[in-house]
Amino acid sequence: MQFEVIAKCHTTRARVSRMNLTHGVTMLPTFMPVATQAAIKGLTPQQVEALGVTLILNNTYHLNLRPGMKVLNQAGGAHKFQGWHRNLLTDSGGFQLVSLSKFTTITEEGALFLSPFTGEPTMLTPEESISIQHSIGADIIMQLDDVVSSLTTGPRVAEAMERSVRWLDRCIKYHEGSGKKSTQNLFAIVQGGLDPHLRHQCLDAMIQRKNDISGYAIGGLSGGEEKDVFWRIIKLCADKLPEDRPRYSMGIGFAEGRNFLLHLLVCVALGVDMADCVFPTRTARFGVALTHAGPLNLKLSKHEADMNPIDKSCPCPTCTDGTSRAYLHHIVTHETAAAHAVTIHNITFQAQVMGGARDAILSGTFPEYLRSFFAGYFGDGGYPEWCVNALRSVGVDLLQDHPVNLIPGSGAKWEYAN
Amino acid sequence: MPMSTSRQSCSLSFTIAQASISKSLFSPRVGTLSLTRNGDGNIDIDTPGVIVNTSRGVVPHLSREQYKQCSSVRWVHVPFETFLEHKPPVPTLQTGQDPLHRFLGYPSDKCVVSMSLRDPHDGREVPSNGNAFVSANTIRGVRKVSPDEWRSYALACKPDIVVPLSDTPFNPSPYSQKRLTKSIERSFTWLTHFLQPIEGSHPFNVFVHLAGGASIAARTAFSESLLETLHGKDADMVKPLKSLDEGVTGYQLDLVPLRLALSGVINIDTSPVTTDPGIKTSDIVPLLRSSLFPLPTHKIRLVNSSKSPHEMLTLIQQIGVDLFDAQWAQRAADIGIALDFSFPVGNWGTRRRSNGKQDLGHNLFDPSYAEDFAPLANCFIGEATRNGDVPVCMCGACSPLSPHTRISHSSLDESAPNGGEVGQPFTRAYLHHLLHTHEMSAHSLLVLHNLAVLDAFFAGVRNAIRSLGNETFDLEISRFFQEYDEELLVFSESEAMWGEVEMARGKGRLTREKAKQTTV
Repeated sequence: MQFEVIAKCHTTRARVSRMNLTHGVTMLPTFMPVATQAAIKGLTPQQVEALGVTLILNNTYHLNLRPGMKVLNQAGGAHKFQGWHRNLLTDSGGFQLVSLSKFTTITEEGALFLSPFTGEPTMLTPEESISIQHSIGADIIMQLDDVVSSLTTGPRVAEAMERSVRWLDRCIKYHEGSGKKSTQNLFAIVQGGLDPHLRHQCLDAMIQRKNDISGYAIGGLSGGEEKDVFWRIIKLCADKLPEDRPRYSMGIGFAEGRNFLLHLLVCVALGVDMADCVFPTRTARFGVALTHAGPLNLKLSKHEADMNPIDKSCPCPTCTDGTSRAYLHHIVTHETAAAHAVTIHNITFQAQVMGGARDAILSGTFPEYLRSFFAGYFGDGGYPEWCVNALRSVGVDLLQDHPVNLIPGSGAKWEYAN
Repeated sequence: MPMSTSRQSCSLSFTIAQASISKSLFSPRVGTLSLTRNGDGNIDIDTPGVIVNTSRGVVPHLSREQYKQCSSVRWVHVPFETFLEHKPPVPTLQTGQDPLHRFLGYPSDKCVVSMSLRDPHDGREVPSNGNAFVSANTIRGVRKVSPDEWRSYALACKPDIVVPLSDTPFNPSPYSQKRLTKSIERSFTWLTHFLQPIEGSHPFNVFVHLAGGASIAARTAFSESLLETLHGKDADMVKPLKSLDEGVTGYQLDLVPLRLALSGVINIDTSPVTTDPGIKTSDIVPLLRSSLFPLPTHKIRLVNSSKSPHEMLTLIQQIGVDLFDAQWAQRAADIGIALDFSFPVGNWGTRRRSNGKQDLGHNLFDPSYAEDFAPLANCFIGEATRNGDVPVCMCGACSPLSPHTRISHSSLDESAPNGGEVGQPFTRAYLHHLLHTHEMSAHSLLVLHNLAVLDAFFAGVRNAIRSLGNETFDLEISRFFQEYDEELLVFSESEAMWGEVEMARGKGRLTREKAKQTTV
């Protein structure tokens, strides 16, 4: 991996960088659409590439179950299997073990779980996880970490953090010996729950191993925690992580997808370079289109005779073709084509928001960019308090020219029937 | 409702190749259908050929940009009834040129769009039609549509081709003599109403459903009535037309109501696709002939809901049909089948069954495809072959093109390479994986592929009609019947597996599947 920081925001911690991987260049900050089962739902890889997407995510847990490693090895890896020629990232599979299986037990050896195929106890060790990710062949692979819910307290959090460091060493060792180092890049995952002290310890340990690591992910923040705690942990980690490594905030908005946009922009301002979320594609399938003025629920009857596109200024194929809201209303949740059309729009919208952020950071106008995004998205309806606090911590006052109320809680915005 | 009565010019012509004309009334023929809109240049469609069906206005599983890229999407047929859920129907609100094309995203320089009230594949029972209305199905219940309303919708939507209302019963048969007479009379009256001249505008291109149900006498009577010189009120209404047939561009033969009328059962299933195996193509041929016999031979003959390529071949051979809808191939894509057959029969095909016949396609749900990295079809030998001996199909699934443009999201984004390069084909193993993981992309790729296979089949048929004598053509058809399984066993197998995978969701799915596999 070649990683180069091109520009930094003069006010916030945001930065623009260029990440050159085996399958081309990805400009950061960026958001990664999720292709859990080796397909962005409803689209062909050619369609996804045409949207200007250069990096997508596959889930190791799912690909390991289906099609399985035997098929992926025969196909020559996940890129070839799904016909995707750009960059690919895989997670370690550990998170799904915890979120999808009740019976997973973590031992020092690895994660012991009941195989969904045979029901027999199966062990996923750090070595095994990396080996599977080698078969998949993603450009960026993640260490196996010991995941605990962000709501867990007590000694288990420290244990998980310390074990994640030990497992990182095993992942590094396995990866070193594999001969895949030149084409696949290993990322570490910072754990430590919501405890700043533990986070610092984890950061110190993982930064020591910097020479063997291509980038860092911030893990263990998968929703449920207080938003004010969430951004403080992100800030703590981003502040301390080395300049010359990409920073990836994992699974943000897993629990509260609707806030994903806000999380994304706040994280960028705090110094994060990459984030993934299923929200833009999932919500599209239920007929919700994302716009600068907030989400648009195309199922609502108020759109049934509206001949305007989702967003006249959007460069996506759905909007440039003049696809009307009335047309989408007619087919949403009835035809898969509706899911395709809105998915195309939502991915483009997200990419546009991130591209706009890159341009703004480059031209020194990122604080204004944030202010105008919030003003457009929320209007006079008030801003989520946590966003205002988080951005104040990096020197941007959202309320500067736009005094509105502060809303406690997550700040999810939704379109209602009237 | 904005109701402009002025209509741009849109003329449809049909030329039957010289060589085919000299033959008899029902002999196979090749031709070209040519549509000129606003004097802008032609859209040419070769016949025998294929038209693509839509559901709620869209070609199922395709995105709008794929309409532009997929060469099989040339003529799309739009059943209008789903739009009755909103009053006025939303497409009638679209402004500008070619409103229906525009609303639905069909490129007007590439696509012919036709429109009928009812979905020709929907055989579900609906309440009886009245003297002045047709009952149509929507997801919000049944709607009554009068001939006046239907004409106003057509005027506002400006499709290239319209099918006037027809009184086709969709309740349990057999139909009485009285019912059949009423059906013919109403269809005649409604067609007369539809053919009234449009002030200051070009007339519609009209395809008429040939009425008469399962009665040879009734079908003949309806066709003959089209040719009668009109008198009195009817003549005044359609002036300057002398007979209704003068205002008609093509004849439409809908097989779903015909099969219903023959079988005497109504499809109470919610699935709009009916295939009663008891009704054979040979039962249908005399009925279709009785409709076409009185009518001029130079007009387009369109058949909807043909159940297999075998039937299509028979109808080309014995009736001289020009156009078929692609419902059969589109349905195959829905249930996970990648078509793989050709006409004339080629050297490469699918697996052989114990009866010695080949399947028309691959049931990609089948576990045997899990590690099969071949492209979807074997039958394309002789087409563009990239690797020498591996036959390749030129569809978006087998020959995916890299994108010509990529959206740039910031000034720093690297510009795209030229694009348009043909990539590696998607494999059976990948499609098998997508089908078992409920990924919608599987069906998009299968639609692209299946339409291409059907297109190639018709290209083969045209070529054979052009270059082979009648006898050799008949021989090729019997070879096709010998080679390919007409029972469509692969369809029932695939449908069963598709149903199982549709049901299989949630926790424990993999364990249950494993358990089943081991007990088999």
